[in-house]
This record gives sequence, C-alpha cells and structure tokens, in this order.
Amino acid sequence: MASDLLSIGKSGAQAARAALDVTSQNIANASTDGYVRRSVALSEVASAGGIGQTGDISLSGVRVAGIVRNADTFRQSEVRRTGADAARANAEVAGLENIESAVEGADTYSAIVKFEGSLQQLAADPTNTSLRASVVESARTMASSFNVASQGLDSVRDGLQFEANDGVDQVNKLAQELARVNLRLARASDASSDQTALLDQRDSLLQSLSNYTDISTTIAADQTVQVKLGGTSGASLVSGGTATAFAMTTAGDGTISFTLGGSPVTVAGGSLAGKAQALTKLADTRSQLDTIANNIMSTVNDAQAAGVALDGTTGQPMFSGTGAGGMTLVLASGDGLATAPAGAGANSRNSGNLDALRSALSANDPADAMDKTIFDISSTVQGRTISRDALVTIANNAKIALSAQAGVDLDQEAVNLVRYQQAFQASGRIMQVASDIFDTLINIR
Amino acid sequence: MTTMINNSTSAFYERASLGIGDLRKRAETIQTQLGSGQKLARSSDNPVVASRLRQLARSDALSEIDKSNANRATADLNLTDQALTSFNDYLQRVQEIATAAGNGTLTDSQRAAYGVELQGIQSSMVALANSRDSAGHSLFGGEMAGQPYSLDGSGNAVYSGTASAGQISLGEGQSVTRGLTGPEFLNFSVNGTPTDLMAVVKNLADALQGGSSDPAQAARDSLGALSTGLDKLTTAQTVVGSRLSWIDLTTTHRTNLTELRAQEETDIGATDIPTATAQLSQMMTVLEASQASFVKLASLSLFNSLS
Repeated sequence: MASDLLSIGKSGAQAARAALDVTSQNIANASTDGYVRRSVALSEVASAGGIGQTGDISLSGVRVAGIVRNADTFRQSEVRRTGADAARANAEVAGLENIESAVEGADTYSAIVKFEGSLQQLAADPTNTSLRASVVESARTMASSFNVASQGLDSVRDGLQFEANDGVDQVNKLAQELARVNLRLARASDASSDQTALLDQRDSLLQSLSNYTDISTTIAADQTVQVKLGGTSGASLVSGGTATAFAMTTAGDGTISFTLGGSPVTVAGGSLAGKAQALTKLADTRSQLDTIANNIMSTVNDAQAAGVALDGTTGQPMFSGTGAGGMTLVLASGDGLATAPAGAGANSRNSGNLDALRSALSANDPADAMDKTIFDISSTVQGRTISRDALVTIANNAKIALSAQAGVDLDQEAVNLVRYQQAFQASGRIMQVASDIFDTLINIR
Repeated sequence: MTTMINNSTSAFYERASLGIGDLRKRAETIQTQLGSGQKLARSSDNPVVASRLRQLARSDALSEIDKSNANRATADLNLTDQALTSFNDYLQRVQEIATAAGNGTLTDSQRAAYGVELQGIQSSMVALANSRDSAGHSLFGGEMAGQPYSLDGSGNAVYSGTASAGQISLGEGQSVTRGLTGPEFLNFSVNGTPTDLMAVVKNLADALQGGSSDPAQAARDSLGALSTGLDKLTTAQTVVGSRLSWIDLTTTHRTNLTELRAQEETDIGATDIPTATAQLSQMMTVLEASQASFVKLASLSLFNSLS
C-alpha cells in the first residue's frame, strides 16, 4: 500500500497554491505590454504496481509539470511582420507629409504668381517707378519663398536622418539585448518560471526590433532565436549570443542606405525603411524645386542681358546663386529692370524686352511646374496614406488577434481564482480526513 | 501548449479604443472642414482639387491685374476722346474764321486780327497735342518719354514721338492699342502733299497777317484742307469709341469668367455645410452610442459578482 492520504492532500494543496500564484500573476499583469497569459500544467503522480502486485493502488497525488505560456508563435510572427509594414508606412507618410508642408507652406506657388502678375502690371506702364519697385519686391519675395522651401526641406532631411540614426542605434541595442537573452535561454532549464519571463522578454524585444526593420526569425529547440535582415536568406543580425553591427551611410543627396557587418543590406520594412523612402522622395522633390528656381533665374537673367535699364545701360542680372536654396536677388532697384529692348534710349516706354521676358516665362511656366511639384508630392502623400491606413488596420487586427489569444481575460481568471481556492480547500479537507482516519484507528481499544 | 477560446481583457480595451478613436478622428475632420469652410486642409487631402484650386487662384490674381490694365486703357482712351473733342471745337472755330476771312469785304486789319486769333489757336493745339495720360506720360507721343511736339525756329510744330501707341494686354490673349499718336489724327495730305492740321492753321494765320498777297483767297483755299482735317478727327473719334467698346466687351467677358471661377472654387473647395452638419451629427450619435456601450461593457466584471 503505497498511497498516503496526507501527502496526496499536501500535493493537491501545493498544486492549487501554485495555480493560485499563476492566476494572481495573470491578474496583476492583465495590462502589461507583451505579457503572455500563463497557466499551470498539472500531471498525476501515480505508479503502476510492480511484478505480482498489479492490483496494488499506488497513488501519490499531483505535481506541477510546468508553467505553460499560451503564446501562438504564428500570431506573434504575424504581429511582427504586419507591424514592420505599418511602421514603415507610418514613417514614410510622416516624412512625406513634412516634405509636403515644407514645399506648400513656403507658399512658393503664389509668390511665383505674384511675380508674374507684377510683370504683367509693369507692362501697362514700363517706366513707372512704383510698378518697377513692386516687380523687384515680388522677385525678392519669390526668392525668399524658394529659400524657405529649401530650408524646410533641409530641416525635414535633418530630422529624418537624425531619427534614422537613432533607429540604427536602437536596432544595435535591441540586437545585443537579444543576444544576451539567447545566452540566458540556452542556460535556463526547461519550462521554469524563469524561462517564461525570458521568453516574454525575447518576444517583446523581437517586436520592438520589428518596429525598426523587417526581420525574419528562426526559433531553435532551446528557444533561442536567430534574427536575419533582408529576408530569410539574408545576413544574420543575431545568432546565438552574437549580434552583428548594423550601420547607416548617408549619400550626398541626403538619401540613406544600410550595412550589416560591413556589407550592404536591404531593409524593406520597419520605420527605417520608411525614412529611407521619404528621404529618396525628398531628394527628388528638392531637385524639382532646384530646376524650377534655376529656370526662373536663367530666364530672367537672360532677358535682363538682352535689354536696357531705365538709364539706357545694358540690364544687369536680377538673380544670383544656384538652386532653390541659393536663389538671391541682386538687382538693387527697380530702375535696373531692362524693360526696353537693346538700343532703346533712356526712359524708353518701349516694353519690347519686358514682353519678351513675359513670353519666355510663360513658355517656361514656372508656376505650372511648381503646381506639378506640389501635386506630385501631395498625390504621393495621398496614395501612401491610403495604403498606410490599410497596413495599420491589418497590423492592429493582428495585434488584437494575438492579444485575444495570449492576453489575460479577467473574467476567466476570476473563475480560476474561485476554482483553485476550492481545490485548495478540498485538499485541506483531504488532510482533515486523513487525520480523522488516523484518530479512528488510534482510538481503537 | 493549450489553446482555448479566450477573449482577453486587453484585446477588449484595444478594440474599443481603436473604434472610438477612429470615430473621433472622423468627427474632428468634419469639424475642421466646417470651421475653416474649406474641404481641404492640405493638398494631399485631394491633390487634383488642390491643384485646380491653385490654378483658379492664379487666374484670379492675373485677372485682377487685367482688370486694372483695362481700367487704365479706358482712362487713357477717354482722355484721348476728350482731347479729340477739344481739337474738334478748335477746328470748327478755325473753319468759322476761314469762312469769315474769305469774305472780300473785310479790311486787312480785320483779317490780321483773325490771324492773331488763329495763332493763339495753333499754340493751344500744340499744347493739347502735348497733353498727358492717366500715368503722366504723353497722350499722343506713342511710347516716347517727354513731349512729342515742339516748335521749330519758324514756329512749326514738329513731331518727335514714336510711330504707334503701345498695346495693353486685357487678358485671355486679348489686347488693345492704348491710344493714338499725334500724326494718326493730325496728319493728312492735300492734293497729294502731306501736311498736318497745325501747319494748316499756322499757314492760314501767317497768310492773314500779311504773309500772302491775297489773304481772302488763301482763307477760301484753306477750307478744303480744314474739312479733310475734320474728317480725319471724326474718324479718329470713331476708332477711339470702338476701342472703348472692345474694352467693355472684354471686361464683361472677364467678369463672367471670374464668376464662373468663383462658382467652381465654391463647388470643389468649399464645405457643403448642410451635408457636413448632417454627417457630423450622425457621427456624434454613433460616437455617443459606442462610448455608452463601452462604459457598460467595461463595468461588467466577474469580480464584482464574487464576494
């Protein structure tokens, strides 16, 4: 007779106690980010009888077989994958919106229209000094609005690069942390409570990492994780206890690219990819803006050189510098505007050269080019916003699906609390029975 | 690993906050549209409409300048018209004098007195031909700076302006010649000899003051030239009148276009207040309902029922 009622009751009480511990841990962490609901796996302790004793009862109660972590690895990897897509789209749209604001907020379009209008007004009375002054002032406004747009783009570029740099630092930090967790996982014994905490840490590190870049993960039998960048066949960022250095290089036009352990790597998801895409669009927008500014400057300066100013001398250039950022007004006063064609005398009311400038400008149509530039960036923002919204919805759904499965349900925990409390009381009752039986036996006289 | 049907508390809160947050965001967008009166807060809200709105604003700005140019041209042409009327008045007086002086019964001194009056009229005509336009430039000098007519040593008016008056743009590709040059309405030819009105008056004045052996005949001879001059003036006035009506026509056209543009701007860019208000109150109803149901559901916890 191998059974012992007292020790069965004791093992039951211990198991119920452990289950209560786990339940209260679940309740305490109901709103902890990355916490995965635990449950207790119990197994019966019993042995079959030996040879010739097959009929014997040999029951020893219950034991805690392990703490089960109710994580669905597929849902977790879905959260990482969709989260990386959403983070990329979010970063790209945020960057693009800033580019749009920089270009649109500088009001360059209306400044060009004002310049155009002031020339048109001057044509009505080419020698009028106040109309000439108004042309010079609207040219100054136009030049500074190009400068403002260019500076706006500069600060957007600096901001994006700074954030990307910080993102690269974060990726390195997370990779090193993951490598450490890998080492500890490899050493920890199976299914201990310690390991579940490590697994939570591993998963939340992976999720943080996926916010910055798209990763592909392979989880080994000992629960350590190998992380690769640039798809499943890419180079490995974390392998066992080693993290490879991830770095960023900035090109002359402000665009960025990434290297892993010194060799180039393609980052297709996560906020880093979004920032890289926004920076590429920024370089594109800047070159469009520079082209418009250069066109205006060369058209106006060429026309100036072809005509004579109010005092009959050859017209001097109106602008100097190159690109939107360098555009500077150099014509000192309205008298210097070469409205009359070469050969006309001083104070000529002949508007031949002004007409030539206006027709050259309307053939070039900088206002239209500016409109196209704004349209280009704003329609990009609009298109990307739509796909961003879709990606964010998908990522949110994946996250909810994971937390619905892995998160804590307080109602269920309330039930468990009652259930394990009753189990504990019942085990106590078993011990009481054992004691009663013992008393019964000992009272026999 | 155990898998079980599980509706975790955090998933419930996450779903609720996403749903309510989304509704709030949509309600706020409508509120912004109502507050600003504009459907678009930034170009990316609707790039095509934003681009169209920019083009409309550009056309509006340039059309304003066309309007001021048209006003300037109207003012200049009206001044031209008034000056031509004055020339007409002078010419009629010259014709009266020429007719009177042609009468053989007048004495030489009476003719000389007429001659003095004609001299005065000639210098008035030169002054009138040098009058200024609305911007202070010469009205009849074409595109020159300064005074187009000056007197040479013998008192004859000499034109030094350009051959034609400049064009002024009225927008939509239309333009109008802003005025007349002096020679365009003062110069004509008599029997194949080119001359001008002021020279005719000057010659008659000289003849009446003793420059001719038969002043009465000279006065009668001048009548033909004077009537040609009158024809030329009348024609010029007709030209000015038709230019003014051309400006009126383009102004009406421009006003119509401006109205159409304003209409289009409102149609595509402005918030439709009734629709937006209705949408907003619908959104608010849904928002209130989901907030209320969220509060009810969130207060449902098994812990409250366990004691």
